[in-house]
Amino acid sequence: MPPTNEPQQTAGAIRIQPRRHLSDRSIQNLFIWPTLALLIAVNLFPLAYSLYFSFTNFLAVQNKPPGWVGFANFGTILNEPEMWHYFATTGRYALMSVGLQTIIGFGLAMLVRRKFFGSGLITTLILIPMMLSPAVVGMFWKMIYNPNFGFFNFIVGAGDAGKGVDMLASKWFGTSTPGLALFAVVIVDVWMWSPFVMLLVLSGLNAIPEYLYEAAAIDRASAWFQFRRITLPQVAPLLLIAVLFRTIEAFKAFDLIMPMTGGGPGDQTELIAVQLYRKAFLGTFQTGFSSALAYIILIIIVAASNVYIKYLNQIKGEA
Amino acid sequence: MARFEERGPRLPVAQATRVDKVHPRARTVRVLVALVSVVMALVMLLPVGVMVISAMKTRADVMSSPPKIFFKPTLEGLVLLLTDRAQLSEEDQTKMQALADQGKLGLFARIALSTGMEITGPSAYVTRLKNSVIIAGTSTVASVVLGLFAAYAFSRFAMRGKNDLLFFILSTRMLPAVVVTIPLFLMYRQLGLHDRHLGMIILYTVFNLSFSVWLLKGFIDEIPKEYEEAALVDGYTRMQAFFRIVLPQAVSGIAATVVFCLIFAWNEYAFALMLTSQRARTAPVGIATMMGRGGIEWSAIAAGAVGFLVPVVIITFALRKYLLRGITFGAIRG
Amino acid sequence: MATIELQKVEKKFAEAYAVKPLDLTIKDGEFVVLLGPSGCGKTTTLRMISGLETVTSGKILLNGKEVTWRHPSERDMAFVFQFYALYSHLSVRQNIAFPLQAQGVKNDEIERRVKEVVDILRIPHLLRARPGKLSGGDQQRVALARALVRKPAAFLMDEPLGALDAELRESMRAEIKNLHVAQHATTVYVTHDQIEAMAMGDRIVVMSKAEVQQVGTPIEVYYNPANLFVARFIGSPGMNLVKGQYAGGSVSLHGGNRYSVPPAWTSRLGSALGGAPDVILGFRPEAARVSPQGALNGEVYATDMYGGHTVLHVNINENEIVHIRSDRQSSYPMGTKVRFDIDPAMVRFFDPRTEQAVRGENPPSAAAEVS
Repeated sequence: MPPTNEPQQTAGAIRIQPRRHLSDRSIQNLFIWPTLALLIAVNLFPLAYSLYFSFTNFLAVQNKPPGWVGFANFGTILNEPEMWHYFATTGRYALMSVGLQTIIGFGLAMLVRRKFFGSGLITTLILIPMMLSPAVVGMFWKMIYNPNFGFFNFIVGAGDAGKGVDMLASKWFGTSTPGLALFAVVIVDVWMWSPFVMLLVLSGLNAIPEYLYEAAAIDRASAWFQFRRITLPQVAPLLLIAVLFRTIEAFKAFDLIMPMTGGGPGDQTELIAVQLYRKAFLGTFQTGFSSALAYIILIIIVAASNVYIKYLNQIKGEA
Repeated sequence: MARFEERGPRLPVAQATRVDKVHPRARTVRVLVALVSVVMALVMLLPVGVMVISAMKTRADVMSSPPKIFFKPTLEGLVLLLTDRAQLSEEDQTKMQALADQGKLGLFARIALSTGMEITGPSAYVTRLKNSVIIAGTSTVASVVLGLFAAYAFSRFAMRGKNDLLFFILSTRMLPAVVVTIPLFLMYRQLGLHDRHLGMIILYTVFNLSFSVWLLKGFIDEIPKEYEEAALVDGYTRMQAFFRIVLPQAVSGIAATVVFCLIFAWNEYAFALMLTSQRARTAPVGIATMMGRGGIEWSAIAAGAVGFLVPVVIITFALRKYLLRGITFGAIRG
Repeated sequence: MATIELQKVEKKFAEAYAVKPLDLTIKDGEFVVLLGPSGCGKTTTLRMISGLETVTSGKILLNGKEVTWRHPSERDMAFVFQFYALYSHLSVRQNIAFPLQAQGVKNDEIERRVKEVVDILRIPHLLRARPGKLSGGDQQRVALARALVRKPAAFLMDEPLGALDAELRESMRAEIKNLHVAQHATTVYVTHDQIEAMAMGDRIVVMSKAEVQQVGTPIEVYYNPANLFVARFIGSPGMNLVKGQYAGGSVSLHGGNRYSVPPAWTSRLGSALGGAPDVILGFRPEAARVSPQGALNGEVYATDMYGGHTVLHVNINENEIVHIRSDRQSSYPMGTKVRFDIDPAMVRFFDPRTEQAVRGENPPSAAAEVS
């Protein structure tokens, strides 16, 4: 019921607002500023702080004040072949992971798109891997990959302890196969995130009006023809969104890797975010150097995100 | 299949389908698809199943090779996870054995006797679990509440640079955690927020905030402005309109947002790793570093992993409607 | 050559009928309209003919051969959808060529037929365009072209003009009818718009609640509705239906009016009603004439001005309003008392218990001879 502490109005008179209410302006400020303030304090400020550090040689363990070194850190990073190697590893990881996720996710979506008995339940079940903590997932896949008692070796390898497959040590039936560990991590990532792609594709599939397929049926178009000419073009934008999103995430990958391999064996799974953590928080706490590295990663991600957001807006515009 | 074209299907069709979809070949394909889907779902869940089984194995069974499929289930993993133990002295063991022979020993005491260890109290993991609950819960509430207010303002009010502000908020989600942690680590150390619950709560709130503002704005955008405008004309204040009209209609959007924020905060690892040590450390970090007497305590880890995942699975099932809405909504509506 | 026959065709979902057993024969070259409100079963019937919907029981025959379970593409029928169903990523030319490509027709043949069809529909300038960029009317023309290019035995159209605005609908109506005549094509057309049905149909199948209410030419359906539903549904406004009691050669209406039943009816009305007095009197707005000596009276409630004519809403008692058409160019003030007569040739009667019309002695009189 409208408040009663109001003076009566006559027809045509301007309504007088009760004295105690807040104006739209103040509400706007009240609602937005706490959020903005927090974001600035916890995001913007540290970003700026980090930028400052990237130009210094600060080591967090020491008590020496930070000394200005200009672009030296950036130079070191961009010139060190080791760094490029880590970027390359991350790139390979992103490529394999996103590629497989897309294919499997798409396949899953095509399977469950037509409702059948239990399809809802199955969709929810497939959803579960995505909801789990990457760190915890990393931990238990470590168990599964264990060459002695792990399930993976049991199924893929001969089941013989030590003589079969040791994914995380890059040993395929005893032979050292570098890159196997990275692939092992890719498998886990794909396992976790194919459901995400599946969901996006599924929503795209459901949005295709049935009469397009009916018209195609009347025109005697083959199933492959229908897939190529109707399904694929309609789903393509969503697929692209999924690809962009997962690629950006691949560059940030840390939670999954750290518990599972810690970057090893050697540096086979040393993704760029892992390297960043190592330089910043382990060993000599090279704050300055790692800040510079963090910024380089940030620039890459921002550039990719821009593409992502621009593309999103384009889709929204057409929708 | 000329017979189908003449006689039609064996049983009369009572749903809405096309004629070609009732063809026996089409039906077989559908059955196959359903079967393959079931298989895929099982394959996807196999690792989870393995973990659940491992959580119920004894230390010895867990590490047996080849892995045992048939075993005697036990709560040992859980006990190892949740309790600190100390070696039972010889005399204590004899005393307990005597009691056992008289049949006067309780369940936990019997386990203690068989493993040679007695329980001295809850393990560090229990604290970690408690921390997870506190931090995840509080930060979710905070980020959803703040996000709701901000989302409403962004949705209903025109302001200069609104799109830029929104972009800024969205972009903070795109940051890799590590970029912000280095300076945060130093800042927190100075402010005394390092390894404190408040520090983590603030951090999680902020990181969930960008997502919750974005998601909630999308949901609020969908609520027609006409309802509030009618209320305003009737004499309600903007605040009253917000609480009585917008909020009730946004409940499903709020639920979706709560689910996501909760899951993110619950599962978070990187920040927890870098900004906590003993006091405020959360479970994911705890699980990854569970060391026992002979190295990594696998059954405890399995128990911990399963226990940690159970709430998420329950939430996923119970709120799947909201989850699905949130995911597709967030990804598509930008 | 295409005759379509439906024999006891029915569609059930669980225990509910979407289409009750229906018999219909569509002659070669005929334009048959399935007309009715939403949910009456007309679209389901059309879809069953095309194969987009399965029948629960019954037979569908094309030229005497059973096609009930044939693939939709093998029935030699083309389907035009309400929302055009054009492929947005293909050009108009590719859209039209699509069905021929799917059938494996040779390229030069495709070219020829596309050009032919595009000329008929007068859209050659649109060949390169994308459907999404076209107006509604043009999109529908493309959809028609795509149907036409197959040279099918029959055209099935599901509310093709439903998505267009009123003005466009009128011109497209004429275009479709012209196309039908030029192609001498059997057409089954679904619509909920009775004006459209009356304008285009050779015969109209009026449906409601899964059942056929009447099958007839527009004239038949208009002047001799088989039941209350058809009487109300056809015509805008629909037929006036007034409750009354029949006794001694006249019908007493609520509110004091008394209508003398014309001689042509007196002999059959009593027996048709089975001795019960309840009857419903029906007359179309144009069947009534305002006149100072009119036998019936009422009070003007509102006036609808159509420019060329006027429709009066007249209260004959507290609850019932009848519509009377008048050539008068100005409105009556509200509350004016008027008297009116009903043309005895155009009056109809209905049994309120069965909702069926009481059959008249002869088919409609002067009205039907108006050509």
